[in-house]
Amino acid sequence: MDAQILLENALNACVAGLVIGCIYGLMCVGLSLIFGIMRVVNFAQGDLLMLGAYAAFYLVAGWGLLAFLGLAGPFAAAVLAGPIVFAGAWLIHRWLVSQVSGLRTAGSLDEGHFGQLIVTLGLALILQNGGLILFGSTPRAVRTPLSASAWLVEVGIGDTTIFLNKARVIACLVAIVVVVGLWLLLDRTRLGRALRAAADNPTAATYMGINVDRAHRIAFALGSAVTAIAGGLVASYLSFTPFMGLDFVVIMYAGVVLGGMGSLLGAFWGGVTIGFVQQFSALALPPQLQNAAIFVVFLLIIILRPQGLFGRSADRA
Amino acid sequence: MLEVTGLSVAYGGLRALSDVSLAVGEGQFITVVGPNGAGKSTLFKTISGIVPPQGGGIRFCGEDLLARPASDRAHLGIAHVPEGRQVFKSLTVRENIEMGAFPEAGRRHYARTLERIHALFPILEQRHAQLAGTLSGGEQQMLAIARGLASGPRLLMLDEPSMGLAPAVADMIFDRISQIHREDGLTILLVEQRVAEALELCDRGYVLETGRIVLDGPYQTLMNDDRVRRSYLGIGDEES
Ligand SMILES: Nc1ncnc2c1ncn2[C@@H]1O[C@H](COP(=O)(O)OP(=O)(O)O)[C@@H](O)[C@H]1O
Ligand SMILES: [Mg+2]
Repeated sequence: MDAQILLENALNACVAGLVIGCIYGLMCVGLSLIFGIMRVVNFAQGDLLMLGAYAAFYLVAGWGLLAFLGLAGPFAAAVLAGPIVFAGAWLIHRWLVSQVSGLRTAGSLDEGHFGQLIVTLGLALILQNGGLILFGSTPRAVRTPLSASAWLVEVGIGDTTIFLNKARVIACLVAIVVVVGLWLLLDRTRLGRALRAAADNPTAATYMGINVDRAHRIAFALGSAVTAIAGGLVASYLSFTPFMGLDFVVIMYAGVVLGGMGSLLGAFWGGVTIGFVQQFSALALPPQLQNAAIFVVFLLIIILRPQGLFGRSADRA
Repeated sequence: MLEVTGLSVAYGGLRALSDVSLAVGEGQFITVVGPNGAGKSTLFKTISGIVPPQGGGIRFCGEDLLARPASDRAHLGIAHVPEGRQVFKSLTVRENIEMGAFPEAGRRHYARTLERIHALFPILEQRHAQLAGTLSGGEQQMLAIARGLASGPRLLMLDEPSMGLAPAVADMIFDRISQIHREDGLTILLVEQRVAEALELCDRGYVLETGRIVLDGPYQTLMNDDRVRRSYLGIGDEES
């Protein structure tokens, strides 16, 4: 009997890890895109995720623009959070980030990393505290009836059952579609090739007629939008405050480093791995130690495989 | 087609080009030779717009180039094949060529240009799916030239295409460049340290030393000049 409970718990952790992991994977992909193409470590990524969550909240619950969509509303809102944050990030790059990155700092002593650290950390603080002023500190949630219901799957071993939270499963599917779409965009289109060329060799890309500054702006806005969609998806099953970015930035960095910095698909699998680690640690550890478990795995991998679990560090963006 | 007048460039306080003037006419093959550090690459980078000049002017097909951002110049018809090849290492051979065809002119005739590129460099067709970073130096140089051709340029600028290549490979590259000029009628501006081979190809040559043009003229004039013979061709009583 004990063995069966153990099996059931393990199976459920596995499935929950995969489902949550795909959403983590999506947010990691956004961070990795920005790093892979711009070589900028964006410390404000968690707060862009927070903006995505609030965008989804206001679209569905706050102003209720999308309430008419019923059960699909929260997910449509999460996807719409993408273009909204894309526009915001476009302006942020134009006014702030481009001042300390790209061709402007290429060839300078530290390649602008010091300036980038200060600007993105400052941006994180502005977004957190700006969020506090605008959105208030009351925890918000985009509750749907789906958040509290599950599909039950009988595995066929005794009465072992897997619980699939409906909201999370749909969010996971949306995340997979967005990642595949982004991968196709980068791999197959002219714009994607131009972004990769600008990442590979900015000077040569300029000789080809690519406006590298603009390519970076697109990469920054796209990476922010992807993470914001993940934020919108998180909002469909978790309550959040303007400081939610702090929790998720840990997950994102762990995932991206696990996957190998700069590799998009690696970052996705890194995120999935973090999902697994988190859900399995929940079996044995109290909730407040779950992030610690992520860190322990993170450190182990840095020690054992510094190039990341998947792919090489010089992998294709 | 290209007119450079009184161009001066400095890096910080260091003068790299002083009062350089040079002209390239439609259909011509122009060569600039000079020793290491003379400012040849700086000249190209200024024409391509990634190094700002202190003074002077650059006109291309009647247009003031200095008024246009660097990323416009490929679209105006200037293809820059940079020193050290600078291929996109993480992209495949074919993707590199496709990147070359980024400007409108390159896209319009892409299929025909690709055929021409494969005729000139068959190895690039065989290696089309390989990552450019895994090619040999000679192959990367061929790819860099192919990428330049793919833009459908009006002017092809080549910065030391023979650098670091075995003599046989360098000869092959020079042959192809000459072929491109003869058969496609493409206007070419070549910068080289291999003076004998480079001057042999050109209609007109310039000698650049420490940022100044010290001599210019048609092939015969340069080859008969004592200074060129002594310092660059190793003919005469002094060592090169
Ligand atoms: N980015 C740079 N910063 C400072 N000095 C430079 C830079 N690039 C070139 N130089 C200097 O400018 C001069 C000309 O260099 P370059 O144009 O590369 O010469 P060449 O191509 O003829 O060998 C050299 O003295 C070189 O040291
Ligand atoms: Mg040079």
